[in-house]
Amino acid sequence: MHRDPIPPGTLDLLILKTLARGRELHGFEIAKSIQQTSEDVLQVEEGSLYPALQRMLIKGWVRAEWGATAENRRARYYRLTPMGRRQLEAEVTQFERVIGAITRVIQTA
Amino acid sequence: MRWLTEKIREIARRVKMLSRREGFDRELDEEMGLHRELRARESGRDGIAADDARYSAQRRFGNSLALREESRDMWGWNWLEDLFQDLRFGLRVLRKSPGFTLVVVATLALGIGANTAIFSVVYAVLLKPLPYANPDQLVGIFEAKPQEGIPMAGCSYSNLVEWREQTKTFSELAGTSEHDLTLTGRGDPSVVRTVSVTPEMFALLGTQPLLGRGFRPEEGKEGAAPVVVLSENLWRSRFAADPKIIGSAISLDKRSFTVVGVMPSRFRFPILTESEAVWIPVIQDPLFGPWTKLRGVHLLRVVGRLKPGVSMAQAQAEMDAIQLQAAREFPAENAGWTIRITPLQRTMVGNAKSALLVLLGAVGLVLLIACANIANLLLARATSRAKEMAVRIALGAARTRILRQLLTESFALGLLGGAAGACLGYWGVAGLSSLLPPDLPHAGAIAINGWVLGFALALSAAASFIFGLAPALFAADANLQANLKEGSARSGESGRGQRLRGSLAVGEIALAMVLLVAAGLLVRSFAALSAVSPGFQTQHVLNADISLPRFQYSTPQQWTSFSNELLARVQAAPGLQKSAVGIPLPIVRNAVNLKFDIAGEPSLSPGTARMADYVSVSPDYFRVMGIPLLRGRPFQEQDSPAAPRVTIISEAMARLYFPGEDALGKRLIFAFHPDNGFPHEIVGIVADIRDGELSSDPRPMMYVPFAQAPFWGVELVVKSDLSPSSVAAAIRQEVRNIDPDLPVTDIGMLSNEVEASVAQPKFRTVLFGLFGAMALLLAAAGIFGVISYWVSSRTHEIGIRVALGATPGDVLRLILTQGMRLTAAGILIGLAGAFGVARYLATLLYGVTAHDPFTLAGVALGMTLVSALACWIPARRATRVDPLVALKYE
Repeated sequence: MHRDPIPPGTLDLLILKTLARGRELHGFEIAKSIQQTSEDVLQVEEGSLYPALQRMLIKGWVRAEWGATAENRRARYYRLTPMGRRQLEAEVTQFERVIGAITRVIQTA
Repeated sequence: MRWLTEKIREIARRVKMLSRREGFDRELDEEMGLHRELRARESGRDGIAADDARYSAQRRFGNSLALREESRDMWGWNWLEDLFQDLRFGLRVLRKSPGFTLVVVATLALGIGANTAIFSVVYAVLLKPLPYANPDQLVGIFEAKPQEGIPMAGCSYSNLVEWREQTKTFSELAGTSEHDLTLTGRGDPSVVRTVSVTPEMFALLGTQPLLGRGFRPEEGKEGAAPVVVLSENLWRSRFAADPKIIGSAISLDKRSFTVVGVMPSRFRFPILTESEAVWIPVIQDPLFGPWTKLRGVHLLRVVGRLKPGVSMAQAQAEMDAIQLQAAREFPAENAGWTIRITPLQRTMVGNAKSALLVLLGAVGLVLLIACANIANLLLARATSRAKEMAVRIALGAARTRILRQLLTESFALGLLGGAAGACLGYWGVAGLSSLLPPDLPHAGAIAINGWVLGFALALSAAASFIFGLAPALFAADANLQANLKEGSARSGESGRGQRLRGSLAVGEIALAMVLLVAAGLLVRSFAALSAVSPGFQTQHVLNADISLPRFQYSTPQQWTSFSNELLARVQAAPGLQKSAVGIPLPIVRNAVNLKFDIAGEPSLSPGTARMADYVSVSPDYFRVMGIPLLRGRPFQEQDSPAAPRVTIISEAMARLYFPGEDALGKRLIFAFHPDNGFPHEIVGIVADIRDGELSSDPRPMMYVPFAQAPFWGVELVVKSDLSPSSVAAAIRQEVRNIDPDLPVTDIGMLSNEVEASVAQPKFRTVLFGLFGAMALLLAAAGIFGVISYWVSSRTHEIGIRVALGATPGDVLRLILTQGMRLTAAGILIGLAGAFGVARYLATLLYGVTAHDPFTLAGVALGMTLVSALACWIPARRATRVDPLVALKYE
C-alpha cells in the first residue's frame, strides 16, 4: 500500500479538523484518525504531532487534560477551544482557495 | 484590539507554563512513550515480531529527543535560559572583580539616586494630577487688561453669574477668593484661612466630602443662613475630629456659621500647600460679601470645568464673544477687559516649573557623566578581556551571543546601581524635604512612589544600555586574529579604543563644565542676592500680626483706637519701647501697588498710570525699622484724622515722579477708598527699601499715617534686645488685656522672613552646587582613569624612553600634555555648551549675567587645576618607571 506524506503546512489543519469532530483525543488517536479517515493515504510523521500540539496549546487553539484510556493508562487528551474552531474555519477556507487555484492551474491544458 | 488581548493571553500561557517547566519533559516523554507503545502493539497485531514492531514504531515516530527540543523551543524558554546563564556568568565575573563592581555601582547609585530624588519632587509638583475629579477638564479663568499692564486679575461676581447663564462649553463655573478670618470658641482664638466660594465649587471639583456635604445652590443667595465646610486637618486639630461637628456652629469673625461638611485632607483648594482651611459661601464673607454687588471689583478667581470633548480654544472663543457682549452692556466696568483661560494645573503650579526642569536637566547631566565614566571603565576592561572574547569567538561563539552577554553584564550592573540609587534617592528625598522652599505646591506630598521607582528603573536600564553599548560593540568587533596573535592583552590596545576612551573623557569634562558654569552662576547670583540690603533693620526685629474681627470692629475709629491702645501698652512694657505699626510690612506681606495723581498735574493716559506701593505706618515706624529720613519731617501724633492729610515718599518715588524738582510740599491725590480726592501733602522723603522681593530694585513707595488711613488689623514690629519668646509673650499678654478673643499670629523675626523670601534661589543654588561638585568629581575620576590606563599600557614605551635618556621631567611633560590636551578640548566644548544652555538660566539669575566672564573663566581655571591634579598622579607614577623592569614587563 502506498502512503503519501502530507503536504507541508497542512498538519495543523488536519489536527484541528480531527479534533473538531467533537471528541477528546490523545496523540496516538489523532494520528490514527488521520490515517484512517484518509483511507491510509495520508501518513503523518507521527512524532511531529507533538511539537505541533504544543504550538497550538500556546496559541490557545486546543486545551489539554490528563485522563485515562480505556485500558486505564494515563494519557494527555486534547480538545478544541472556540478559538481553535475559528482558526480551523480560517485554515479550511484558505486551503480550499489554494487547492482550487492549483487544480485550475494543472487542469489548464 | 482582539489581537492584543489574544497576544496577552498567549504570553500569560507561556509564563504559566514556565513555572512548571520541570514537569514538561516528563509529561511529554510519557505522552510520546504511550504513542510508540500503542503503535508497536498495533503492528504486533498485524503479525510482526515484537522487536521489529518496536523498531518500526520508532521509525514512524521520528527522533523523539529532537522532537522534545522542538516542543520546548515552542514555549520560548531557550531565550530565557540563555539570559539566566548570561546573568549568572555576569554576576560571577562581577564578583571576581569586586573593586571594579563597587566603583561602578557606587557611581551609578550616585547618579540614579540624585535623579530619583529630583524626579520625586518634579513628579509631586508638576506631574501629579490635581486632587480633583477629572482634573484635565479644569481651567482657570482670569480677566486681563493688557493696555493698562494688568496681565491677570480676578473676575467680577456679576460677570461670573452671567457667564454661568450663557456658557455652552463649560459644564460648571465657580469662583473663589480667600483671606484670613478669626476663629473663636473651643480654645484660643486663632486665624484661619477662609476660602470664599460660590456654592457650585464643591460639585465642580467633584471631591467627595469626608463628612456631611458641600454647599447647596440656595446657600449662595443673599439671606441664606451662614454655613461652613471645614478641612479635615482643621477638624482634627481644632475640633478633635468630633463626628458630631456637622450641624453645630463655629464662630468666624464673631459671627456664627453652621458646619455642613468636612473635606478630606487630600482636598486642597485653591492653594495646594494649605492644609487647614474653611470654606464659606462668598455672599456670607464679612469683607467680600458686599463686594459681590460691585461689577467693577475683580474679586474672584474662576475655575471652570469644560464639557467633555470641548477644547480650550472653543471655550476661549465662547468667552471672547460673551465678553464682547458684556463690554457693550456695561462699558464702564468691562470695556478693555479680556478673558484668559489656562489649564488649572498650570495656574496652580506655574512658577515652579522652569526652575524644576532646569534642576532635572542638571541631574540628568550628572547621570550622563556617570555613564561616560562607567563606559570608560568597561572599555578598559573590554580591552583586557579582548583575548577572552577572541578565544570564545574562535571556539564558535556567535558575535551576537557575545554582544548579548556583555550587554547582560551591563544590565546586571545597571540594576545593582539602580537598586542602590533608589535607596540613596529615598534618603535624598528625606534630605530634600528639609531644604524645600515652603511655597512649593504639593511639597508635603513628595515621596518615593511607584512612578518614581519606575522612573529609577527605566533610568538604570537606559543608563546601562548607554554605558554598555560602546564597550560591547568594541569587544564583539575585536579583531580576532590580531588579539590571538599578539598574545598580550596590554599591547592589544588599539588606537581606536584609545580614541574612544579619550573622547569619553572629553565629553565628561565638557558636561561637567556646563554644570559647573551653571552652579557658578547660581552661586554668584545667590551671593549677590544675600549681599543685598533690604534697606531696613532686620536684626532683633520681631513682627506679629493681630487681625480684628470685622463684624465686631467695623468702624475705622475702632481700628485706630485699638492700634493706639496696643502701641501704647506695648511701648510701656520694659524693653519694648521701639515698637511701631506698618501695614503691609515689607517682604513679609505682598506690597499694595496703587494708582495716584499729582495735584495740579493732569492725570496720565491709561497704561502709563502713576503707581507706587502704599504703606500705612505709625509715627515711630521709620525709627524702629531703621529707614533714614532724608528730608522733611517724620509723621507725628498731630497727623490725626482731623488734621490735613500728609504723606512721606521714598527716594525712588521722588526721583521717578518729581525729577529735577523738589517733591516736598507737592500734593498727591489717591484714587482709592478711603482717601478719594483728598490731597496729601508730601512732608518727608525717606530712603529706599525693597518691599517686594530682594531681587528687584527698590520700587517707588508712599507712606501715610495709620491714624489717617487705618486698617482693620495691626502688623506690629518690635525692635528689642530681649529674647524673641519673651517679646512674643509680652505682645500676647497686652493683646489679651485689650480683648481676650483676639488672636496673635505670624509671630516671627524679620531676619527669618527675609531669609525665607530667598528660599527658592537658595534651594536651587545648594542643589546645583551639589551636582556641580558631583560632576567635577566624576569628571576628575574619568580623566584620572584614562591617563592611568594610558600610562600602564605604555609602561614599555616609557621604559625605552627612559633607557634612551629621557629625564623624569620629560616623562611628566609627555603625560601631562596628553591629559591637558583632552582637558582643553573638554573645556572648550563645555564652554560652548554652557554658553548655549545659559539662556535657560537667565530668568533664575540676579546681579550676574548668564555669560558672566568671571564665572566662565573661574570655572575653566578650576577645571584645569583639578584635571591637572588628576593627571599628575599617574604621571608621577610614570616617572618612577624603572627601565629594566619596564622592558621585561609584558
